[in-house]
Amino acid sequence: MGILTVKSVSKSFGSAEVLKDVDFSVEEDEIFFVLGPSGCGKTTLLRIITGFLSPDRGKVLLSGRDITYMPPAKRNIGMVFQNYALWPHMNVRQNVGYGLEVKKLPSDLIKSKVEKVLEITKLGPSVDKFPPHLSGGQQQRVALARAIVAEPKVLLLDEPLSNLDAKLREEMRSEIRRIQRETRITMVYVTHDQKEAMSLGSRITVLDEGRIIQTGTPYELYTEPRNNFVASFLGDINIIDGRVASSAGETLDILTGEGRFSVAKSKEVAAGDRVKLAFRPENITFGGRMNQVRCRVSDIEYYGETFKVRVVGETGWQGELKAFSGDIQKMEKGSVISFCVKPENFIIFAE
Amino acid sequence: MKKTVYIFCFLFLIYFLIYPLGHILSQSFLVGGQPTLGIFRGALGNYVVRRSILNSFLLGLLAVVSTTAIGVPLAFLFARYRFPLKNLLRPLFFLPLIVSPFVGAIGMMQLLSRFGSINLLLMKAGIISRPVSWIGSGFLGIFILETLHLYPIMFLNISSALNNFDMSAEEASYNLGGSFSRTFRRITFPLLLPGYFAAASIIFIWALTDLGTPLVFEFRELISIQIFNSIKDINTNPQGYALVFLVVLITVLLFAATKKLIEKRPYASGRTSVTVAEKSLRGKPLLLVYVGIFILLFLSLMPHLSIILSSLSLKWFFTVFPSEYTWSFYQTVFGHRLTRTGIFNSLLLSSASTLINVVMGFAIGFFLARTKLKGRNILDLLVMLPLAIPGIVIAFGYFSLFSNTLLDPRNNPMALLIISYSIRRLPYLVRSTYSSFQQLSETLEEASYAVGATLGTTFRRITFPMVSPGLFAGGVLAFSFSVMEVSSSLILAVRERHYPIAKVIYTLAGRITDGPYVACALGVLGMFLVGISYYVSSKLVARKIGEFFRIG
Repeated sequence: MGILTVKSVSKSFGSAEVLKDVDFSVEEDEIFFVLGPSGCGKTTLLRIITGFLSPDRGKVLLSGRDITYMPPAKRNIGMVFQNYALWPHMNVRQNVGYGLEVKKLPSDLIKSKVEKVLEITKLGPSVDKFPPHLSGGQQQRVALARAIVAEPKVLLLDEPLSNLDAKLREEMRSEIRRIQRETRITMVYVTHDQKEAMSLGSRITVLDEGRIIQTGTPYELYTEPRNNFVASFLGDINIIDGRVASSAGETLDILTGEGRFSVAKSKEVAAGDRVKLAFRPENITFGGRMNQVRCRVSDIEYYGETFKVRVVGETGWQGELKAFSGDIQKMEKGSVISFCVKPENFIIFAE
Repeated sequence: MKKTVYIFCFLFLIYFLIYPLGHILSQSFLVGGQPTLGIFRGALGNYVVRRSILNSFLLGLLAVVSTTAIGVPLAFLFARYRFPLKNLLRPLFFLPLIVSPFVGAIGMMQLLSRFGSINLLLMKAGIISRPVSWIGSGFLGIFILETLHLYPIMFLNISSALNNFDMSAEEASYNLGGSFSRTFRRITFPLLLPGYFAAASIIFIWALTDLGTPLVFEFRELISIQIFNSIKDINTNPQGYALVFLVVLITVLLFAATKKLIEKRPYASGRTSVTVAEKSLRGKPLLLVYVGIFILLFLSLMPHLSIILSSLSLKWFFTVFPSEYTWSFYQTVFGHRLTRTGIFNSLLLSSASTLINVVMGFAIGFFLARTKLKGRNILDLLVMLPLAIPGIVIAFGYFSLFSNTLLDPRNNPMALLIISYSIRRLPYLVRSTYSSFQQLSETLEEASYAVGATLGTTFRRITFPMVSPGLFAGGVLAFSFSVMEVSSSLILAVRERHYPIAKVIYTLAGRITDGPYVACALGVLGMFLVGISYYVSSKLVARKIGEFFRIG
């Protein structure tokens, strides 16, 4: 059992069912991601964990204790709000110290704890400033400092980087990782940004339309997505419709409009089943004989170190391939090329 | 052309706003060209004046306390809870604003007098055996009427502050373990403070300077009454100047404090705010809320009811309700010479002042929003100043400054009445056009130029149609406020043929025969005029009427 467990939680607003039987468990000292598109129920889930909402069914356990109906103020679960929710009438020091004052700690202890957390979050020079006079990144740091100084059992982060520009976002991402390592606080991080989840997460749970689709490490989710939604949410993917021609030993023989493919058997399917055959744009080689696909280049986009090659197959199938400058020299718009996918690089989704 | 209008606006405000204020200042401190504190010493040496100052402060403070006690919980109830009929009930709390406490007082005298309805009702019910003197010295009556009239201002200000309130600021406190009371004390209230302070300032100053209500209750020991009385012998006794100066000083200090409070700490809260999850009220709490709302509305509408009943009652002696009803007082309103003159004068004066308001309001709104002319900030300050300066101050200033000139109100006050009406309402007009201009993206005008339209065409087809609802809404309100304007009408109109409605009502209320009833009938008409214009202007602009009662 993890430090935070969400057990079969469901919640509806009127006739809209926002969460359906959500189940997961967060281990101590990890950064656990809840990843999903906007409107998938992430915020509702967070508000249930913090206690600002009650679920219709299900339980929330913290260190094994049922806290489902405990008031927010009693939970000791920290929160970094999406809009930071810094109090504009208090300076940085007052914002950060508030949670300790609430706990009625002696003032010199408050002072030393605040100093320490301001050091960790590199806010030292701004202690006397008021939130509106801080940059977006600094506000973000204050929000983090305010939450971690109270030493919560679990820290929730609600899309904490969504108000920052791209460069700052990257910087804060590594800051959050560093702060987590230094403080060893268990974090539950909610986002719709798969890059954040992939780069920071110990584990990720993917939420769609209020339901958990899959939970696992970033690598597991990327390489063995349970369905098309998870696969395409975590990165670009190509999909070809097909049918299992034969299933022998560790290999499947799959027939598609683009040809016959020999595929490693990663899923139990029987001959005659309709399947979707998926592969990532980077998991291809130009040239080779096995599992070859012939197609026409419809467009080439330049992405700095790589290229994205858009192709159209003989039956009208459309795909994207990742290529390097060496590959691209022999191609141009309209030219016919061929590429291969290794049997173990295919992902199979049963229909 | 633009520059000329700009300079004219400046001169107008300087001559009719700053000059009178400066005149009051100089008259309070100069005797024979020599600076002195003698006038103040003389005024403060007078026992009645000292009592009046204390009473006025007490009245202002009590009004702030009582309106806070009513308005703040009411605003929280409407902002944070969901209950049946909520949207129907909310607008009813605007109704107290449509009857000036001075008119309400005339009706309330009828209910609260020795053998008035309240005493008779209580005696019939056996609760009291002898009539109670509710009005007493009159102070209590004034206090009750000011409270009933002014609490909506508190309600509106706190409501709008709560609507812009970022709930996550509170949630962050609960999340860190803050209790309800600590969260309210440390987070919610400090964040609402600018809105609260602004409302409290308006209420304090309003109660402090209201002239009509104490006149009706015949309570003399208030600053406003002392100022009013001092006008008669202003050339021999400069005490009035000192009192007006005192009022100006208080208002300036209060508004400076409000501004400071808003500027000092950046109160603008976060970007995306969490939607407020209104809590549902059910069962016993809901019942309590309904009972509370019912009692409050009943009390708030007592002035309205009392003037309506008075205006219709043929016989109303020693009975709880009138024993016979009549329309005759309404016929008198349109038949009697004095009332007809009053209505005519008020309509004329208000039309003229509204015209000035609309033209100047539009021009100044344009200058502030769309030009980079030098001194715009000063113009902004000047034009908003009348929001803070009580009507009684402006009227007193005009009376003393323009006596023995071409504009002498003792000969003909019409010009000064028009100007004082328009100066006092100009902030509303400027504010509503300014915000219309701000909402109107300049790209819309640029898009018109881009397809080849001239400046004139663009103005006529794009700019004006988009700004005009705000302008019109402000105009409607300014007009109805002017029709019922009390303090400048009471002070500046000296001869009967120049009386506007408010002074006619005041005069009639003092006559023993059917005067008060006719006054009430006139008051009812005024009430409907103001009520309808609130409705019309709130329909015209999507904005809330509450914006007209806010500062800062």
